[in-house]
Amino acid sequence: MKGKKLQTLSFFLSPMIIMVGLFYLIPLIFTIYISFTKMKNWNTEKYLSEVVGFYNYQRLFHMFQHDPMIKAILLTTVIFVGITLIINVLGGLLLALGTFFVNESSASAIRLLWLLPRMSPIAVYSLVWYYFFHGSDIGTLNSILMKLGAISTPIPWGQMTPWGAWSVIIFVNGLVGVSFGMIVFTSSLNQIPKELVIAARVDGASAWQISRRILIPLTKWHFLYVLTWQFLSLLTTYPHLFLLVEWDLVNRDYGTTLALYVFNTAFGRGEQDQGLAAAAAVILSIIGILGGLVTLKVLQFERMIHEPRGDIE
Amino acid sequence: MKGKFGILVALVVFFGVVASGCIGGEETSKTKTTKVELTGDFVKDVVAIGKALEENGINEVKFSAWGSGDPNSVMRVHGIVEAARRINKVWEENGVNVRVIITDKYYTAAFQDAYQEYLSKQPLGQAGDFFVNSYAFLPTLADEGYILEITEYANAYKSVIDDFYPSLIEASKFDGKLYGLPQDTEARPFYIRTDVAAKIGFNLDGLEEKVKNGEFTWSDVHQWAKKAKENGAAEWGLIHRKGSAHPDLIQFIFAFGGKLYDENSKKLVVDVPAIYKWLYVEWKFAQDGLLPEDIMSWDWAKQIHPAIVEGRTLFDIGGTWYWTEWQTKDYYGKEGTPRPLKPEEVQAWLAYTLFPAGEEGLNPVTLSQPFVWMINSQAGQQNPSYEELKELYHELAFLMIIKASDPDINAIHSVISAHLPVRKAAAELIRDEEWLNELKNLNLDLDQEVKDNLRDIVATTVHPINAKFLADVSYMLEYTKLAPAHPKYPALADIFKEALDKVLRGDMSPEDGVEYIIQKVNADPELAQNVEVIGEVPKDWQFP
Repeated sequence: MKGKKLQTLSFFLSPMIIMVGLFYLIPLIFTIYISFTKMKNWNTEKYLSEVVGFYNYQRLFHMFQHDPMIKAILLTTVIFVGITLIINVLGGLLLALGTFFVNESSASAIRLLWLLPRMSPIAVYSLVWYYFFHGSDIGTLNSILMKLGAISTPIPWGQMTPWGAWSVIIFVNGLVGVSFGMIVFTSSLNQIPKELVIAARVDGASAWQISRRILIPLTKWHFLYVLTWQFLSLLTTYPHLFLLVEWDLVNRDYGTTLALYVFNTAFGRGEQDQGLAAAAAVILSIIGILGGLVTLKVLQFERMIHEPRGDIE
Repeated sequence: MKGKFGILVALVVFFGVVASGCIGGEETSKTKTTKVELTGDFVKDVVAIGKALEENGINEVKFSAWGSGDPNSVMRVHGIVEAARRINKVWEENGVNVRVIITDKYYTAAFQDAYQEYLSKQPLGQAGDFFVNSYAFLPTLADEGYILEITEYANAYKSVIDDFYPSLIEASKFDGKLYGLPQDTEARPFYIRTDVAAKIGFNLDGLEEKVKNGEFTWSDVHQWAKKAKENGAAEWGLIHRKGSAHPDLIQFIFAFGGKLYDENSKKLVVDVPAIYKWLYVEWKFAQDGLLPEDIMSWDWAKQIHPAIVEGRTLFDIGGTWYWTEWQTKDYYGKEGTPRPLKPEEVQAWLAYTLFPAGEEGLNPVTLSQPFVWMINSQAGQQNPSYEELKELYHELAFLMIIKASDPDINAIHSVISAHLPVRKAAAELIRDEEWLNELKNLNLDLDQEVKDNLRDIVATTVHPINAKFLADVSYMLEYTKLAPAHPKYPALADIFKEALDKVLRGDMSPEDGVEYIIQKVNADPELAQNVEVIGEVPKDWQFP
């Protein structure tokens, strides 16, 4: 009986196990291995077998200890991930709830509008905000404010440290991230039996009461998923930040997160140092795993996966 | 009967031996040629390679060309296309039934991106066969075995190699071996707005000589910049480029007698006194309102270039390629809709000298960043029997870059992109007015595809004024310095840029800027191993 159960389990789980093994486990093991080698400039023949022990980790920790930028970078990482995460998750939830209560065609139009930042090529999207927040009179925002008489000289938004730089990077990334939460939450709200909402309406509940008492509690799983996913995503994201810093729109110290710092050090200076990048990826993965575990603990994931009381086997 | 039989047997044996000998002989003569000894006679070598390829059953050789740079520098790719046509012509004239086809012509604006792409795709066998990029990346590519060493081939073409400027050939070497041929170079003139100068009584006659002799230094630059600003003749005294990829500002280090590389230790150098003086001069300019403190955030097309072409600055640290860029891009917006400058306007409004000496007793400088034709170490891999015929493909690839370095191809590139020629023969050609006229009308023996691609650029850039400019600034190569071709230099340049930005904005004093650079270098053990810090911040040093 046990053998049969195992056989059935293996049959159904095998596609997932193969996928996880092929696309997660093997790359993970490979990344860990590369982090112990001298691998650089994509030259596998020359460096892949050159094991250097903990050299890449030591180099990274030396940089973390001695780089004069590091305090600003760590602080920026915490602020950027923290605030953008709140905006992404709550913004996504608010949008999903907002569109839940309007007619479908308007809701689709609003969702499409919010998806634009995600659909636009990163360079184009970043360029739009580059010109919008540019710190001189060529910047759209400065130009509007000057025409309205609100300011007399341009404000260097991204160069005002730290909050100016943080605001720009949080705003630009926040807009991209909101759509992810919006899609997940919209999907979850659509799974909620309509009868519950109709019944509440009949009982005279307002949109706020329906949201608070019915919709939000029933999207707990999705909330957990979006929160964890976005946290890991923000911890490792760098493409938009890279362009905003590279184009000198935002201050380098307060526009650089840990992920971008590692990217610039490993790939941005002529050489392509895959060994160092792999070591940094391992460290970021450990931070991500720890952060993910804390999130699951705080949101009481274990309680959520308990078998429902009253169910009979 | 017996005798007849014997004769028959003898004849059969004889013919058998003869026949087998013949067949054996045929076998020997059919040993295929997989390498040709290059002689230095281009036509002879091309024909020999063509015949060898034909003999091996190859009638078509496919190559790809990757280039990058400003929109006017497309000859970095079309030079290869034209070289292929010229080689095909030689084969046709000599009855060789082989053709070179350039399958992929890839041209992108950012040369650093092109380099990163080459670096990641070469090991996968997906990079271009010909790659034009900065000499600064050559050491890394050579060290990784990603580009072909051509020392031996070049020995056969000594007469061509000797026509290149020696400093540029040196820049194409790694570890004493040649890995490419120079494609172009440039100088970075110090531009002066003549109209602004006239308003403040700044006489430019003889200035070029004064700069050459080190009599006009950065203190003088500051004095005139201040005067221009105070008199309201210009909004700024000085505008310069930004970023670390364009290493213009390290000219200050050389102008203050400093160095960036030590030949003996093979290490990069942080020359503290020279770097301090550089940061101090820029800090002083920014503090006095002569240089925008946020210049490192300025937009190229909307701020930096318009400020120069509209005369809102007295001085500008730029490059030779600015000269034609101003004539092709809509930077001049004083009359409403932005438009390009006319050659006559550029000539009338802008004078140019070397980058002045930092202080008296020192020398003026300029800076070059030669671009180099490099050959993929797997060049020709997309063709049949690659492993067997590798040597032939490589020899052909070498002859392609020899042809792409023809004086006229190099001269065309120089004139239309305002880069300096890399060969003496090309330098002579751009002084030839008759040839310039032919170029203007595209009445030259060029591939039709190349002509079609050059037509618009030629129409706007080929002008006697531009040719004269190139001839005028060629002398600057005698004063030129090169940024170190060291794999770790880009990391150091990045740190310089960060420090300068902080100093210009007033977030750091020049002393703190120097300290910041040292801290950043020491923060990365691998960089610290490759850099030596020399000297100390000078005490009692005064500027201006």
